[in-house]
Amino acid sequence: MELMYWWMPLLWLVVTAGVIVLALWLHARRRARNLADAVPVAHSDRLTELPAYRTALARYRAALFGAVLVVSLVLVAAVLMSSRLVSISTYQPEMRNRDIVLCLDVSGSMVDYDAAIVRTFRDLVDNFDGERIGLVLFNASAVTYFPLTTDYRFVQEQLAYLENDLSSPLSDYEFINGTLLGEGSSLIGDGLGSCVLRFDDVDKERSRSIVLATDNYVAGRPILTLPEAGALATERSVRVYGINPGDVSSKEYIAEFANEMKQVVLATDGGYFALADPSAIPSIVDGIEQQQTTRLTGEPMLVRTDEPSWPFVLSVLGTALIMYFGWRLKR
Amino acid sequence: MDELLHRVRTRLAIRAHRRVRGLLDGEYVSLFHGKSLDFDDLRAYIPGDDVKDIDWKATARVGSPLIKRYIATKKHAVLLVVDTGRDFAALSEGGTPKRDIAILAAGVIGYLAVRHGDHVGLVAGDADGTEYVPLRGTESHLERLLRVIHQRTSMSAGPSRLAAQLDYVRRTFRRRMLLIVVADDGALAGQVEELQLVRRLHAQHEILWITIGDVDPTLGDYADKDMIDVADGRDLPPFFRRDSALRAEFEAAVATRTAASADLLDRIGISSHRMTSEEDVVPGLFRLLEGHNHARR
Repeated sequence: MELMYWWMPLLWLVVTAGVIVLALWLHARRRARNLADAVPVAHSDRLTELPAYRTALARYRAALFGAVLVVSLVLVAAVLMSSRLVSISTYQPEMRNRDIVLCLDVSGSMVDYDAAIVRTFRDLVDNFDGERIGLVLFNASAVTYFPLTTDYRFVQEQLAYLENDLSSPLSDYEFINGTLLGEGSSLIGDGLGSCVLRFDDVDKERSRSIVLATDNYVAGRPILTLPEAGALATERSVRVYGINPGDVSSKEYIAEFANEMKQVVLATDGGYFALADPSAIPSIVDGIEQQQTTRLTGEPMLVRTDEPSWPFVLSVLGTALIMYFGWRLKR
Repeated sequence: MDELLHRVRTRLAIRAHRRVRGLLDGEYVSLFHGKSLDFDDLRAYIPGDDVKDIDWKATARVGSPLIKRYIATKKHAVLLVVDTGRDFAALSEGGTPKRDIAILAAGVIGYLAVRHGDHVGLVAGDADGTEYVPLRGTESHLERLLRVIHQRTSMSAGPSRLAAQLDYVRRTFRRRMLLIVVADDGALAGQVEELQLVRRLHAQHEILWITIGDVDPTLGDYADKDMIDVADGRDLPPFFRRDSALRAEFEAAVATRTAASADLLDRIGISSHRMTSEEDVVPGLFRLLEGHNHARR
């Protein structure tokens, strides 16, 4: 709590003192002028010793005291309002200028994980505000399921549709369409490269990250190797968060790929998560989100917020009370 | 020059008072009746009596020498004891300053006395001092007395303390006089000293007590005006002027107090009358004198 115009109370002090002096002066002048006309009364104790007078005097004093109290409260409220009472808080703006591309390997072994990622992002999208999200599915070739967009309703629809497609027993695997056009399958490097290219407005200062879900089990000849794609991502300052269900002891035969992926991903200043169970995905995605959030908070800013509410309420109530006491005193 | 006395005469000349004026004269004379002051009689001769005093005609009728007793027409002394303290600069119940009523009452009595060839004096003052104007029997002297009352009674005078004046009378005068005490409602309220003095003076003098009623500050007439307590010069707060319950209680308290004061004087044997306005003075004095003369007979 702080006053924006610190000099205002001083001004009030001077003005109030001036008003009081003026009032006293006017009163003295009026009294001097009325003195000739005043009614001289002797033996006022005839009156002042009456019990009824005592009670009337007590009532009068109480009303006077109340009036003085209320007037000073209203004055305080007026001083606070006019000098703009502000609360000061430091605010770290969350920079809502993130671009996230979900880069999902839709080879058979990854479908469960993809579904978990999609489901989690469906929940997250509800809280998005200013972030853009895009979705790329890849196998042999990469397909933009939807480009980076802030149309969250559309994103929700698409994610819901895809989730259904990924997880429903009645699914016709529509999502596979267009992903098998390359030489071989699971061309991870090509997929990551394609995802990196999905970012537009390269000149703008935005946080760009990719959630890459793959086991990095390449079958075929990619145009870009994974390290090359990683280098491209680094060059465009895109962070890659890798989720690798293949990096477990039961799949030691692909440990080499997992290792490669881990190195590539970490080289982009991203994160690497090895796991066996799709149900761990939500917490990982939340973690990535959190990490992104903390990383993207900007410079702490000093924010002054006007706090006029309680002085305002006080002045309104006080004004009503002043009227009441004025009526009591004039009655 | 004699404007104050002129006001007294005017007041007495008011048509409605004309009859009263004659009656007032009579009542005034009666004040001294029964003291055998104006009374001459015959008694048996005692050796040593002045031969010139023998009433020969009566002696011839009766057969034994009778002495004609001349009582020299003695000039009576009327002493006005007037409170000229600050309290009397305050308003009376009728709305005029109490001083004006005091001057009028003192003036009427003094005028009657002067017309009857009696001497009128004044003891006036406040807590700060007492002033004595000696007994004389002229109208100009009466005018001077009234002026003293008029000039002494102001807001800058000392506070009222009737006991000081009464004590002055006790200490100063040895002869019997007619004391006209002009006081107000507060003079006898719980004042032990005053009461003792009054008792003491009553033993020596004839006392007529005039009370002048104080203003009722709760009256609506004064609601819009400033009100000053003459005791300390401070303003009286305005809140009580709209309080009807307080007004009723005040009226009751004043009535009780007035009755108590009158009762006190009555028990001592002093006639008193309470006046509230200038119109009240002449009929009030008549009532006072009449009541006094009746009570004594």
